[in-house]
Amino acid sequence: MTGLHKAEDLRRLRPRLQAMVLVVLGAFALLAGRMCQLQVLEGVHYSRRAERNFIDEVVVEAPRGRIFDAKGRPLATNRPAYTLYITPRPRLTEERHQPDGPAVGSRVPVTDGEIRELTEFIDFVDDNDREKFIAKITSRREDPVNGKYATAVRSNLTWEEYARIQARSDQLGYWVEIRESSRRYYPRGTLTAFVTGYVGEITPAGLERSSGSYRPGDRVGKTGIERQWENYLRGRLGKRSRVVDVHRRPVSEPPSEAIGALPPDEDPIPGQDIYLTLDLDLQRTAAQAFDGIHAGAVVAIEPDTGRILAMLSVPSIDPNRWQQPIKREEYAEWSKSPFKPFIDRTIQEHFFPGSTYKVVSALAALDDPTFDPEREIECNGFVKYGGRRFKCTHKHGPVNLEQAIVQSCNVYFYTLAMEEVLTLDQMEIFARRLGLGERTGLGLNSEVKGRIPTEAFEAREGTYQRGVRLNSAIGQGNVTATVLQLAVVYGALANGGRVMTPYLVDHIETSDHKLVFRNQPQQRRDLEPLPGGDRGRIHRGLVGVVNDELGTAYSERPDNVEVAGKTGTAQVAALDRRRVADDELEIPGWDVGKEHAWFAAYAPATNPRIAVVALVEHGGVGADAAAPIVMKVIQAYLDSQETIGSARKPRASGVPPPLPGQRQGPSNDEPQEGAAP
Amino acid sequence: MRSKRPLLGRPRSLLGRFNRAIDWVVVVLTAIIVALAMINLNSAGNGDWSGKFMGQARWIGLGTIAAIVVGSLRYTLLYRLAYPAYLFGLGLLALVPVIGIMRNEARRWLGIGDYQFQPSELMKVLVILALARYLHDLPSGGKRTLLQRAIPFAIVGLPVAFIIVQPDLSTSIICILMGLSLLSVTELSGKSLAALVSTGLAAFVLGWGFFMRDYQRTRIDVWLNPEAYADDEGYQTIQAMISVGNGGFFGRGVQNGTQNKLGFLPYGETDFPFAVFSEEWGFLGTSMVLTIFLCLILWSLNRASQARERFAALLCVGIAALFFWHIIINIGMVLQLLPVTGVTLPFFSLGGSNALTMMIGVGILVSVSRARQFQ
Repeated sequence: MTGLHKAEDLRRLRPRLQAMVLVVLGAFALLAGRMCQLQVLEGVHYSRRAERNFIDEVVVEAPRGRIFDAKGRPLATNRPAYTLYITPRPRLTEERHQPDGPAVGSRVPVTDGEIRELTEFIDFVDDNDREKFIAKITSRREDPVNGKYATAVRSNLTWEEYARIQARSDQLGYWVEIRESSRRYYPRGTLTAFVTGYVGEITPAGLERSSGSYRPGDRVGKTGIERQWENYLRGRLGKRSRVVDVHRRPVSEPPSEAIGALPPDEDPIPGQDIYLTLDLDLQRTAAQAFDGIHAGAVVAIEPDTGRILAMLSVPSIDPNRWQQPIKREEYAEWSKSPFKPFIDRTIQEHFFPGSTYKVVSALAALDDPTFDPEREIECNGFVKYGGRRFKCTHKHGPVNLEQAIVQSCNVYFYTLAMEEVLTLDQMEIFARRLGLGERTGLGLNSEVKGRIPTEAFEAREGTYQRGVRLNSAIGQGNVTATVLQLAVVYGALANGGRVMTPYLVDHIETSDHKLVFRNQPQQRRDLEPLPGGDRGRIHRGLVGVVNDELGTAYSERPDNVEVAGKTGTAQVAALDRRRVADDELEIPGWDVGKEHAWFAAYAPATNPRIAVVALVEHGGVGADAAAPIVMKVIQAYLDSQETIGSARKPRASGVPPPLPGQRQGPSNDEPQEGAAP
Repeated sequence: MRSKRPLLGRPRSLLGRFNRAIDWVVVVLTAIIVALAMINLNSAGNGDWSGKFMGQARWIGLGTIAAIVVGSLRYTLLYRLAYPAYLFGLGLLALVPVIGIMRNEARRWLGIGDYQFQPSELMKVLVILALARYLHDLPSGGKRTLLQRAIPFAIVGLPVAFIIVQPDLSTSIICILMGLSLLSVTELSGKSLAALVSTGLAAFVLGWGFFMRDYQRTRIDVWLNPEAYADDEGYQTIQAMISVGNGGFFGRGVQNGTQNKLGFLPYGETDFPFAVFSEEWGFLGTSMVLTIFLCLILWSLNRASQARERFAALLCVGIAALFFWHIIINIGMVLQLLPVTGVTLPFFSLGGSNALTMMIGVGILVSVSRARQFQ
């Protein structure tokens, strides 16, 4: 071994040390360059990413627009409520998988135990409800991308649930959060169930279709106006931002830089309020008239405009029920009910119109130049055709067209059909000119079209017999229509032959009463107006139905107003009868073998201001079951018009109804008094 | 220099002599770094100058004492102590598998009272001492025998073998790199260095292909493309880069970095303090720290070039290498230039043994500088 001090020229080491200096300088330059890149050149990009880390945007729900009737009475409003939010993957763990390895981040989903703990505090209506709740959380915690965001899992918590969860919030942990929101409230319940519709949680399919404009757990309109006008009602969500830490807990004292980076809060824009044409008083009158009747529907419209004044389908489910979870048995009960409470009988179900369809047949016959409406046909109570007997109610004796309508003689129309004055195709032309066989354009509750057969249709269906023509002439066979369609038909008969598009929404306002939209009466321009002379003859017949002693609805005539109308007694399809007959339950007042009762009318006959159509399912004879309902509605409406003091001048008889665009007097602004709250 | 002395006057007072004896450049640079590091450590921790901060402050204090002791030793004494100290260190390392403390699936620590100590950290300095002495003792020039070639590798390899089984890959890598740095000063020619490095690279590539464990391979994949693993394996890398970038030019301000304060950056105290520092001090601060570190290393190399003996030169190069490799590997890892390893940043990283070791390194530098002064 040599000692420390030895003579040596260390200068030969210099080049190597210089090389080292160069290596060091090079390495540091590399580091500096990279820092310059990250901090100076790409600094803004990384700042944004840092912000994305710590900014949590809390959505502030917009109050949903309210729905009012024509006089400004609320049909759908909001009440404060609490919504349960959970963050399905709240925690972030950073663990090294190897001693010197990088920290591996992973969002840890909530455990089954934690979910179970939460369920203890919620009042489930049944096990199914609980399972669905757990399944919802379990499915959301599988999503690694969105799992770190809070989502609504249960809305409209009861006060007890709220108190229980709030009290245990420390124990549950910060992944459970209750936020204030609002719940929908329908003050009139079943009365306006099908009109307002209801809101419910968005379905996964709907969520996908909305392409990001809705969040899971959002409540959307499911039926009725709520659904049709969803985009107006929902408003725009607001935003509040807050600083959260890596576990997405709100930070009470965040660094000042973080506060500065928060985007400004956005206030929610409340949804727009919808004012309907519906008159709640009239609706209530209609509902009272249906007292004791299991199933049926009534629609009242203003003939000149197509405004729907009342629209009721019985039975219905209180829309408030959908704001809470529903027991499975209860739901099953509803869906098994023979009264079909889910179906809006005004537009979602089509029925044989029965004798109310005779006005269409009469119009079709009058179009034939060889047809003489004054010719009398002898009614013997039946006709024989193609080996079958086609029955009438009783022997009417000789009847002309007007009397055939007044007394509702089937034989008269059978004969016309046999004589080929009435063919399927000829009737179809007039049915379609009155808007039958296609949607009225109301756009509510997936309206059905009804059915107007042609010969081609019958051939296609394989139901063509010569007798079909006879049945079709009296609104049986394959002819079907909805209650609303018939209301439009009778409205057109009342207003001078113009088929109007019925509408429910009068106008829409923003929450600060700025007008957004006002509906205008719309005539169906694609449909040819009815010829005036023909209409007059039918009108006389319809007046006779109620006011002639022989008229089928004479017994129901009101004393202070002249009503024109038509009864209908539609036989129930044999198939329908058999199917229901299998049901062993016997329900009093519900004889499935009985006919559906119709009554369609307008009043006052000389200057019609309202057209009403009522249907009572299995109600029997139209005059007995349906006509009283219609009369009550008509009377209530006309009475209320008189007390308000309608500005409308009655049109003198003989004066032709005004043409579109030459409207006399105000037609659509009188029910809006007091509309603005 | 000697000719100028009469002009300036020979320092007569004790203070004057003390003043001249101390390498103020090293002391001042170290002091600045330690001050910044402590401020940063406080930010990375809970921010109230307590807890882990106080623990580290105690270690820094201990390290300062160690540096003063080492610095005041004549470096001839360092020469004499080199081998015994090395053997002492090896003995401690050998104790680790027996009575060591297990933490995070690694047995690296020895407990002394309340303190826990990593012998592998101290070993870094002891390897420098021993290797410097051995290389110094070799005759300059002339052919080396096989044994003479093998012994330097043994000096490095023996402790590395102990360290790698702890397991502590990063300290092993540092030891090997420091050994290579020392060898390249006096022993290895450019050619053989190149051969060694290329052999190492080839072994690495082969190892990657055939022998590397899956997790290690993933780590390389993550390093090459962290965005693809942003939520799991790449999380650390991505968050570190966000922290650095979020600092921008001027920085977010001390205790104001969101990445660090809100917990998005894992291991901000131990392995990623530079990310914390970058976020709070910005490019201005990082370039300042980088410059100070650079000055310290260059100063150390400068001292090496002024040395009279090979031992002194090798010590200076060794300390420079110690700092250099720590800084490059740690900051390179933060800036995603290198894969994530557990290599610490001198003084910035929380860890007593490391701070103590670095302080001893500084002490050695001071001691060598003083020797130069006295001769």
